[in-house]
Amino acid sequence: MADAGNEKKPLVSGFLMSTQFMELDGCTRCQECMKWCPTFDVRQDRPGITPMYKIAKFRELLGSQYGLRAKLFGPKPLNEDEIDIWKDDTYMCTTCGVCGTVCESGINTVELWEAMRPNMVARGNGPYGKQSFFPGLLGKDRNPFQAKQSERLCWVPDDATVLESSEIAYFAGCTAAYRQQALAVASVRLMNALDIPFCMLGEDEWCCSSALVRTGQRDVMRDHAVHNVDALKDRGVKTVLYACAGCQRTATIDWPRWYEGYIPYKNIPLSFYLRDKIRSGEVEWKRPLNFKVTYHDPCHNGRHLMHVNGRDVAFEAPRDILKSIPGVQFEDMARSREFQRCCGAGGGVKAGIPDLALDCAKARMGDAELVAADVITSTCPFCRRNIMDGRAAMEGCDVKVLDVVEMMTAAMGLDITIPDNPYMQFQEQDVLVCDEDVCKVETIERKAEGKDLVGEAH
Amino acid sequence: MADFYTLGLTYWRVIALTVLVLGVWIYGIYFNFKKWGMGSTGYQDELRHSFWLFIATWIHQAFKDGVWVFVKTFVLDVLLLRRTLRRSPMRWVMHITIFYGFVTLAALSGIGLLLDTVIHFNLLGYAHQAEVIFDMMALPFDIFGYMLLFGATIGVARRVFLREVRARTSAYDVVLLGGVFLITITGFYAQWMRGNSFLVGDVFAYPIYAPHFALIHTILALALFAIILPWSKYMHVIAAPLTILANRGGE
Repeated sequence: MADAGNEKKPLVSGFLMSTQFMELDGCTRCQECMKWCPTFDVRQDRPGITPMYKIAKFRELLGSQYGLRAKLFGPKPLNEDEIDIWKDDTYMCTTCGVCGTVCESGINTVELWEAMRPNMVARGNGPYGKQSFFPGLLGKDRNPFQAKQSERLCWVPDDATVLESSEIAYFAGCTAAYRQQALAVASVRLMNALDIPFCMLGEDEWCCSSALVRTGQRDVMRDHAVHNVDALKDRGVKTVLYACAGCQRTATIDWPRWYEGYIPYKNIPLSFYLRDKIRSGEVEWKRPLNFKVTYHDPCHNGRHLMHVNGRDVAFEAPRDILKSIPGVQFEDMARSREFQRCCGAGGGVKAGIPDLALDCAKARMGDAELVAADVITSTCPFCRRNIMDGRAAMEGCDVKVLDVVEMMTAAMGLDITIPDNPYMQFQEQDVLVCDEDVCKVETIERKAEGKDLVGEAH
Repeated sequence: MADFYTLGLTYWRVIALTVLVLGVWIYGIYFNFKKWGMGSTGYQDELRHSFWLFIATWIHQAFKDGVWVFVKTFVLDVLLLRRTLRRSPMRWVMHITIFYGFVTLAALSGIGLLLDTVIHFNLLGYAHQAEVIFDMMALPFDIFGYMLLFGATIGVARRVFLREVRARTSAYDVVLLGGVFLITITGFYAQWMRGNSFLVGDVFAYPIYAPHFALIHTILALALFAIILPWSKYMHVIAAPLTILANRGGE
């Protein structure tokens, strides 16, 4: 029901750029977006959540307040129940961007959805459910897991070399630091083995704040963007490597919007950097990984960044790594690259509407089953988390979920054992367990009771 | 040609009507641009509520990657509808025939009015030549008319025969496509009533009422252009190409 406090509040639209107002009128209602929308695919009874209908509704609302009729006879009173439904529709979107990829009018939909949400927050309609915890958690703890910043590097093996400052930095991200430490350990082991000198920010690494941007809660964003950029600059960094698609997207597109000074470093996916090492012959494979493997393109470093980094970086680098690993039999799923089906975790959906995220994940896992994959890989800890949840909710599904970096590390014969640390009980992921010649995938179950307050943060 | 002036219409009244229609259309476009100008000029920038700052923002966006990208986008995505072709060849045929049919017919109508002015005032003594050219325009009118009819028919057929498309068809779509289809059909019917028409001969010949029907067609077309386009979903005809250019083709 409508919140009584919202009555007579004006429609808020000020977070849109003027060209985005134009985009609302640019929709031709061709319905192409409806064929591809991953949330509509699992919520066929709610066409209102598709781009075409969301745009039509917003246009209708704007028309009722600022159109010709409103100019002649005054604006129509807003119906708060209608606005609430429209808010729900707008938040039932993972901001994956496939609608923009297929849009005949070339509407930049990701930016449009992310500009619509702050208006709802400003008006008091948004965000959705547990998404409202993000600003408080990040403002207080600087990460969404209520973990200690001083323990950011608690997982680093004693014999690993992490420098205080360097021209190359590894930005691990909150999930790898606290919940999927096998990925963080693998990344560090790999870079050490390949003699890549790198530093990490340690407790100066604050959450990238992707969740704030995606859910329209921009207030704490500036602090995190400015802090992280300054921390990287202070260490003389020229290249930042990411094994987290969400962090990379936010650092590449969002931070510069909030940082007023010059940013002297490049943001590069770790997979792209590692592919260069394979191509230059620096990588020595020690053992085969005899799995049938497929690859799930994360939206955040795929579609969101393909126009920034190019298709090769966005889509081909991780595939090339997988194809290089001895023993791997690689096959793409039916929907891949820019037409990939979103796992369902993004846009704050995992935190706000977990059942929707779960249904999307099951659909994606179904895609992996169709190619009879043993392992579905990704370069995004959030996709991984959600796809694993999808698997758990399916009957008889045994497809394993791994990161490309971990696959590469295992094939190089490196030790990816997580050192004992205060967050061992929170680990929940599939891991490669290897002896001299053979690797198998085991699932680590979370030992801590309960669940994280907001699940994932992208 | 003088047949057109019927039901009390005179040359001057047609000119006055045309000026009025253009005036309403221009105001409609201004009104929309001003509405779009309610937004900001950049991420987190302050609001300006300005027609001119919308224009400035659009120019900034459209030329962000340079003139060459703008030209490429204009040719490939606006003129050739590349993005539509990638998604659905059938929809591409529909759009391209409607777009070029409509635009060319509109241009031919404009030229027709110009020639009519030359004939009316015998400007520079070219009245006779203008009449000859006017008669020569019958064939292109027919060709582009059939092109438009073909596209509009695909559009209507999609909405009628494709179950999913039909299920999601709203009043917007009905007015949009129905309007185009009605204008096209009335145009053809007016032409066929004159008799001795391309493809149909004298099947529909009824010359006495041909001018009246032509007038209905003209009024419908002008109403669509001025009264409906800027104030309705038809605005996508303007907004979609501008969006494609502002987003550099979405590429």
